[in-house]
Amino acid sequence: MTLRESATRIARAGMVITVLALAGLAAVYVRALRYTPVEMNQGAAQKIFYVHVPAAWSALLAISITGLLSILYLWLKDRRIDLAAAASAEVGVAFACVMLTTGPIWGKPIWGTWWTWDARLTSTLFLFLLFVGYLVLRGVLVDPGIRGRLSAVIGIMGMMLVPFIHLTVYMFRTLHPAPIVLKPSAPSLPGVMLVTLMSSLGVFTLLYIGFMMQRYALGLLREAREEELAHAS
Amino acid sequence: MGTLLRAAWHIALKDVAIEWRTKTAFASGLVFAVLVLAVLFFSRDPTAVSSQDIAPGALWVTFTFAAMLGLNRAFLLEREMRALDGILLTPAPKSAIFWGKFGANLVFVGTIEAISLPLFVLFYDVPVWIRLGELVLVIAMATIAFVAVGTLLSAMAVRTRYAELMLPLLLLPFLVPPLVGGVQLTARLLEGRPLSDLGGWLRLIGAFDVAFVTLAALLFQVVLDE
Amino acid sequence: MPPSADVVLTATGIARRFAYRPVLVDVGLTLRRGEVLLLVGPNGAGKTTLLRVLAGLLQPSAGHVERLGAIGMVAHDAMLYPALTARENLRFFARLHGVDGRTRVDELLRQVGLANRADDRVGTFSRGMLQRVAIARALLHEPGLLLFDEPLSGLDAVASRTLVELLQTFQARGTAMIIVSHEMERLGRVATHMARIAAGRLGPVESLAGRSAAAVFADLMREDL
Repeated sequence: MTLRESATRIARAGMVITVLALAGLAAVYVRALRYTPVEMNQGAAQKIFYVHVPAAWSALLAISITGLLSILYLWLKDRRIDLAAAASAEVGVAFACVMLTTGPIWGKPIWGTWWTWDARLTSTLFLFLLFVGYLVLRGVLVDPGIRGRLSAVIGIMGMMLVPFIHLTVYMFRTLHPAPIVLKPSAPSLPGVMLVTLMSSLGVFTLLYIGFMMQRYALGLLREAREEELAHAS
Repeated sequence: MGTLLRAAWHIALKDVAIEWRTKTAFASGLVFAVLVLAVLFFSRDPTAVSSQDIAPGALWVTFTFAAMLGLNRAFLLEREMRALDGILLTPAPKSAIFWGKFGANLVFVGTIEAISLPLFVLFYDVPVWIRLGELVLVIAMATIAFVAVGTLLSAMAVRTRYAELMLPLLLLPFLVPPLVGGVQLTARLLEGRPLSDLGGWLRLIGAFDVAFVTLAALLFQVVLDE
Repeated sequence: MPPSADVVLTATGIARRFAYRPVLVDVGLTLRRGEVLLLVGPNGAGKTTLLRVLAGLLQPSAGHVERLGAIGMVAHDAMLYPALTARENLRFFARLHGVDGRTRVDELLRQVGLANRADDRVGTFSRGMLQRVAIARALLHEPGLLLFDEPLSGLDAVASRTLVELLQTFQARGTAMIIVSHEMERLGRVATHMARIAAGRLGPVESLAGRSAAAVFADLMREDL
């Protein structure tokens, strides 16, 4: 199967998944806004939590996939694996952005400031920077072989860095707890809220998969076009 | 193994010899260190913030940014007349290039740190001698961390056209664990707390060292290949 | 047919791509002891890439290079450290080659005529002098094959003549060489064979026995690559 044919198939499947995920997202929003009780201490603004946490989760998923695919690429040297890793990184940076914007939107009414060095927010900030570095590096490298190999190195290093960042931020936070106790990190969420959160996580994972497939398909198409252009000249 | 160590040694020696002769990166690193220490000192409100409070942060910002100035130098000098190709044409094992560069970078950064530390004591009036040995240990461990990653990433950055931009961009997230750990440990040590109190941070930096020195050494070969 | 024991290099089916474009396409050649191959071709034909693949600095995307013996390379860049002296540079590379530094280095410096500038920093050298140190570096491990990428570029007439004389001594010793250059008149005396490379393809290798380089070149130009 040519690159173009694979691309079209994957894009189509990806679009179906994305549409399903978006429908699921709408359902989760409805559930969160109307059918989930309002949190006692934080009020209605707390409901951003159902977007905020899953977005962070998707970013984390994205970098793990990028890292694993990078290892696979260095081993198998198949350029499609490299394209998939890059697709995951782009989707990851989008989700990280969602998380980094919903955080302050939530933070302002609740904590009174736009930014707190909260554990999850800080970790995601550095995750975001890792993605940006990865994507900028890819942007300045012209040859696909060199680009694939060097970004794979960053991908692997980045994936290995994530647990260290989490630990660092966690240890810092236990020394200097945030001014307001952050309920969301506690597993002791009442059943109703927990179900909403879990459904949101599931939907965001599905959304990641859908976006990832479409972005990958786009990558395949670009690769196909570069080859056609090269053969033409 | 013997050839690896010997080759790495010669490469490290060569780097140190070149830097000793030209002193360009060293001089700029030192100037930068003084600048950062001074600026951070003068930027605070002396009635509100004691020099003791910002000291650990100032010290570590100085170390890491002076280090970054020097890290690019390590591979730029190989590119001037493509001397790296000359090394690749010898039977020297390619990993020797990593270990040699890593060693030379450690010497370079270590020297800047050794000179910055007395300046630090001078400017910030901190009682470094109460825990000097442990402080040196902490500095060494954290330095190993960011020099290992920095050596790998500068080899990568130098292959793009924007080396001075790419290195900080790529390196920054990797500085977080050793930097935060370094600052926290330095602050506690200067307060007089024993190292045994701070096992958590030490273990974090130690684990980071092991993981990333290994990873950098393994992945270096990939960065060298064209 | 010369005995195969004399072969120093065999390349088959070499292909190499960069940024999606083919730089080398199905390149093959065999070189024997004492043969000096002059490689001509337009800019961008892939000559430098081919030399780097043959030297082992680049991996081909396809094909295979078999090297029977050590290779030395003198490229467009000198592969030296400007802050170090000629002697220090050579000693460094000698150590990496596992060659006894002092005697060999001094001997080579004398051979290339730089004994009196051995302790000057290479960064102060003219292009001609850099080329000579580079040649000394390439010779440290007594290679059976030398690769040259445009060795005469940037050299004045005197330096050129010195270099060609050096190449002639190597040829007399039986060292095989591949020289990429368009200076056919000067190198025609040293070369034993000639080939043309264009758009990544290598044409047939023709012997220069008895004929002038210009005549052989005319023949090669007629080949449709």
